Amino acid sequence: MKVRERISEASFNREYSHTVGEITSPNSRIVCRNVNVYYGEKHAIQDVGLDIGRNEVIALIGPSGCGKSTFIRCLNRMNDTIPGCRVTGQIVLDGQDIYDGSLDVVPLRAQVGMVFQKPNPFPKSIFENVAYGPRIHGLVSSKAELEEVVETSLRRAGLWDEVKDYLHQPGTSLSGGQQQRLCIARAIAVNPEVILMDEPCSALDPIATAKIEQLIDELRSHYTIAIVTHSMQQAARVSQRTAYFHLGRLIEVGETAQIFTNPRHQLTEDYITGRFG
Amino acid sequence: MNEICEISGGSSSDRTIDVVHASLVKRRQAEKRFRLYGLLSIVAGLCFLVLLFGSIIARGYTAFQQTSIALDVYFDPQLIDPDGRRDPSALMEADYDRLLKNALSSMFLDVKERQAKRALYSLLSAGASYDLRDLVLANPELIGKTQKVWISADDDTDMLVKGQLGRTGAEGERRIKDNQIAWIDKLEADGRIKKSFNTAFFTSGDSREPELAGIWGAVMGSLFTLLVTLSLSLPIGMAAAIYLEEFAPRNRWTDLIEVNINNLAAVPSIVFGLLGLAVFINFFGLPRSSPLVGGLVLTLMTLPVIIIAGRSALKAVPPSVREAALGVGASPMQMVFHHVLPLAVPGMMTGAIIGMARALGESAPLLMIGMVAFIVDVPQSIMEPSTVLPVQIYLWADSPERAFVERTSAAIMVLLVFLIFMNGLAVYIRKRFERRW
Repeated sequence: MKVRERISEASFNREYSHTVGEITSPNSRIVCRNVNVYYGEKHAIQDVGLDIGRNEVIALIGPSGCGKSTFIRCLNRMNDTIPGCRVTGQIVLDGQDIYDGSLDVVPLRAQVGMVFQKPNPFPKSIFENVAYGPRIHGLVSSKAELEEVVETSLRRAGLWDEVKDYLHQPGTSLSGGQQQRLCIARAIAVNPEVILMDEPCSALDPIATAKIEQLIDELRSHYTIAIVTHSMQQAARVSQRTAYFHLGRLIEVGETAQIFTNPRHQLTEDYITGRFG
Repeated sequence: MNEICEISGGSSSDRTIDVVHASLVKRRQAEKRFRLYGLLSIVAGLCFLVLLFGSIIARGYTAFQQTSIALDVYFDPQLIDPDGRRDPSALMEADYDRLLKNALSSMFLDVKERQAKRALYSLLSAGASYDLRDLVLANPELIGKTQKVWISADDDTDMLVKGQLGRTGAEGERRIKDNQIAWIDKLEADGRIKKSFNTAFFTSGDSREPELAGIWGAVMGSLFTLLVTLSLSLPIGMAAAIYLEEFAPRNRWTDLIEVNINNLAAVPSIVFGLLGLAVFINFFGLPRSSPLVGGLVLTLMTLPVIIIAGRSALKAVPPSVREAALGVGASPMQMVFHHVLPLAVPGMMTGAIIGMARALGESAPLLMIGMVAFIVDVPQSIMEPSTVLPVQIYLWADSPERAFVERTSAAIMVLLVFLIFMNGLAVYIRKRFERRW
């Protein structure tokens, strides 16, 4: 294993220094250029350039520790909470550089929602979980309107029928898959434009995973979605574009079908054929 | 199993399972030994606890009863109300001592000598005449009548009746003389001596006379002091913990502050007393011996404890909750107050209550600011001089009277009840409000 890694590393250095494939998208929503992330001394992401398009699902794949989660967390500045983390380069959302010093992260995060690896509902009722976002952002003016938003969000997350009679039970009493869909409902309740998903199905069983994948497909018509995943089948099923990360660099990006059937980079091929990773 | 044999070489003595069995005996023994050590230490701890509680209770339970003597008091109008006007101010000033003495003398007609009479009168509490006065003031109808009244006994009488003073030995070395013993025995035989619940112990302030001394003054002093401590240290401590843990930038200054808070938690409490004396009393001129100054000193002492407990409670809140809140666009303050704090509050409150319990049991710093003074009045506000329970215990433990021994133990019991109550409250709060995530 170790030896094989070293060979890949060597081939990487010898043959390639740039990303293979088209990093731009025909209908770009988020434009990232020269993104570097440092955790203290560690250079976690090196010179990544990538566009994410409107109504598109982009899958980020790669071996553990390759920086795909770090990259996705840059897109709504969740990395700000990690001490010693430094981000350079440009990430532009709708013509606004989100790392501009004058930008307020609170509206940014309302605009760019996030679903985490481990389902993390608030230890409050199901209703409160979904209602929290709209309430703090003042998106609703009456209780009836709030109830409507909660219902719509739960419906979109495909959870309404399962929980409509238990809205005042704690969110943590749900099963893992339901919790994750609750987290998705919570994220879409503030009506974001982009949804980031950091391995949303890694803790779920195949049935719950299938539900969430179906949900992602439905959400695509309203939102821009970036999803980090360790499952290549999942990436192939839900995404239109796929980006392959390796050791902090973006190796290859392209149409999902092309990446999985005809990868142009040796490392991508090695990874998707299961030779390492 | 066969496969394992083959892997390990075939010969049966080499089987892995045999090696495991051989080492198992040793492991089991080690485990047994360890459990035994644990059990022994628990048993030793329990023994000491039982010894401590046993000795305190055995010594102190008698203090909850007080001996009183029944006297047929003739409320002689000539003595207490010569004008016959029932004037309360005149009644206040009247000589009730004489009534008691007359009542006693009429029961022991053979006591004639001056010295013997004095010994006879000393069977009664020095404060008994005040009880009689209060009786008359409350019910002036009594004047002119004879009534059986229970009068509280002197502490030496009390000790003798409770069997805590020796009846034998050289008379000169005894607190209570032969003739007094004879009188008490006669009273007892007449059914004129009874032991009743010692309400004075719970309702009055300190006194030089053990039978009049109570803990109410110290309880009120403790209450006022804790009130000041709680109302200052809880908000300041929680605010400091929240700021340092959630909002403060991580730099040299906050590191320095953290180190200093940890150091302050380990500073001997008497140093805080000296600090309070220098700052609050000498510099700010606040009243000496007052619960206000005591509370301020104990605030200084408990703050580091509350801050440290609060910070660790905040630290224990899982990062996933913070991420969830930030992820939907909560501001840092909303994240803290809506999500982190509700989860951390039980832990913070537990720390605060344990800090308070420590403050309640603290005496050294309060000695420095004059709360060790002999104060008879029950304090009515945080500005009045007062003492606190642990200092009261210290004062009584220092008193020479035999009856203060049991009262010291009784006061310790009261203090322990308070401490157990507070710690129980901390456990209850933790169990009741602990939320799972």
